[in-house]
Amino acid sequence: MTGARTGSLIAGSLVVVCVAILATDYALAPRQPFAARPAAEQKKVTDARLARKTRDGVVAWGLIAAAAAFLMFAKGVVRQEKPSAPGDRRQAKAPGPPRRAPAATPPELDLTFVDHLVAKIGRGKEAAIPLLQAIQTHYRYLPDDALHRICELTEITPAEIAGTSSFYGQFRRSPVGEHIVRVCHGTACHVSGARQISEELRRYLAIPDGEDTDAARMFTLDEVACLGCCSLAPVLMVDGHTAGKLTPATACEALKVTA
Amino acid sequence: MSGLPQVVGRACAILALLVRSAPAQAIPYQRPVDTAPQADSIGGGYKVPPVQKPLPRDYWLQVLDVVALAAAMGVSVWLVLRRRSRRWLTALTIGCLAYFGFYREGCICPIGSLQNVVVALADPKYSIPMVVTATFVLPLVVALFFGRAFCGGVCALGAIQELVVLKPVQVPRRLDRALGLLKYVYLGLAILFAVKPALARDFLICRFDPFVGFFRRTGAPYMLILGGGFLVVGMFVGRPYCRYLCPYGGLLAWCTRLARRGVTITPNKELDCGLCSEACPYGAIEEMRAVRRNCLYCARCYASCPRDGELAHAKARLVQVTGAASS
Repeated sequence: MTGARTGSLIAGSLVVVCVAILATDYALAPRQPFAARPAAEQKKVTDARLARKTRDGVVAWGLIAAAAAFLMFAKGVVRQEKPSAPGDRRQAKAPGPPRRAPAATPPELDLTFVDHLVAKIGRGKEAAIPLLQAIQTHYRYLPDDALHRICELTEITPAEIAGTSSFYGQFRRSPVGEHIVRVCHGTACHVSGARQISEELRRYLAIPDGEDTDAARMFTLDEVACLGCCSLAPVLMVDGHTAGKLTPATACEALKVTA
Repeated sequence: MSGLPQVVGRACAILALLVRSAPAQAIPYQRPVDTAPQADSIGGGYKVPPVQKPLPRDYWLQVLDVVALAAAMGVSVWLVLRRRSRRWLTALTIGCLAYFGFYREGCICPIGSLQNVVVALADPKYSIPMVVTATFVLPLVVALFFGRAFCGGVCALGAIQELVVLKPVQVPRRLDRALGLLKYVYLGLAILFAVKPALARDFLICRFDPFVGFFRRTGAPYMLILGGGFLVVGMFVGRPYCRYLCPYGGLLAWCTRLARRGVTITPNKELDCGLCSEACPYGAIEEMRAVRRNCLYCARCYASCPRDGELAHAKARLVQVTGAASS
């Protein structure tokens, strides 16, 4: 850090010094009009001119070298200020999304709701779907603890629960983020680059492959078939807000409406 | 493709002819120097020394310059399009600056040769050497196929500006476009002054070349100051002379309309992350796509690309695909 900075300062001052020498030399150079002179005097004038030419040539090379050194050091300084390596850049970009206090995973789930539910709906196998739906509405996903509890209280077997909950698209087994981002992947949006939008959002929120929610549980990414505004393609919806004519850059901007 | 050997043969024959027809001996020089003070007016027994004229550069060396120009452009195209390597391109840029700039002292350059060609077209008495014509035509031909490869690392004026780019700002699009029109005005002026009759003729591009003073380490003070100004501005605005003033750049920009290959940001290969567009100091990436007429072949977009390693052809490497296959 300091090495590049001092280097560029030294080289920069060398450049200034060289320019100053050249300018002074130019300003001080005698500019006599052409006149007939005795040979000795003419020789003196010629020698002075030649000496100045050599001197200026050396200083000019020094100036070029100093300028090159200055540029190299200055580029080092600029590079340190703004990391240009793509890896660094993406990491620097990742914590961009609006994050309030990270929603910590609830350590103990309040399962009294499940107990009340079973008492209200029933213990038979036919109650499986209504129970799961009610749990999903309450917790916004199907917590494993709640499902275990159901198995304990009712006649429904863990296999049936697993089968039912994984068969229907309406059930989800992992916690959902605070905001749901629906990225349209309908025909119009697909053609206009919905895949790039989704990819960029995943990168932006640092969502690993195979998951749909970021670590802070702020956003859950959902790919939906059509949001019904194809003229705005590509489109996404964050909670109630719709954003259209997106590019990967503006898609990340669109998430900020929730902040 | 069967005609290729014939074409190569013919090219060799033409080249051999060029080399053989070289004017090897010096031309006798008899210019009456009327404007200079004569021996009588000086007096004091002064004797006018014999007029000296340096021999022209050997013809084969001139041809070598043209070959070097062509080779440098070829290497530039290969480095940018195939290797996508900014580092090697920078090496080429420094090399070309040293050779075409500091060693050849910025002459002959395709930008200036434009005027010679114009004069040759306008004035039947003006003879133009093949070397100059070739210097003029070669970059245009390359631009017809690959875009402005000449501007990237080969042009000495471009190279010196390329190397000083420090912290470029993005010029607002409209201002950029408006200033870009200046180069056509300059082109028109240069042609206008070049087609004048022989005595009134003036080669504006060469006279107001802002960087040639640095290459020769001498020049009119106002031109040196102007050149220094261009370089200082060039640290923060990428290559101002090339983008806004270079008349030859205007011609090259027209030629790139037909270019089939060139610096491309391919929709199906790239991430559309926009890093390249931030990295381009010349405003040549609009809406995430490279604009060929503005692209100056600096390969900064490729250097900033997160997928650089995967996309460089000559750097192909094995990628693990098992994960992709199972999902």
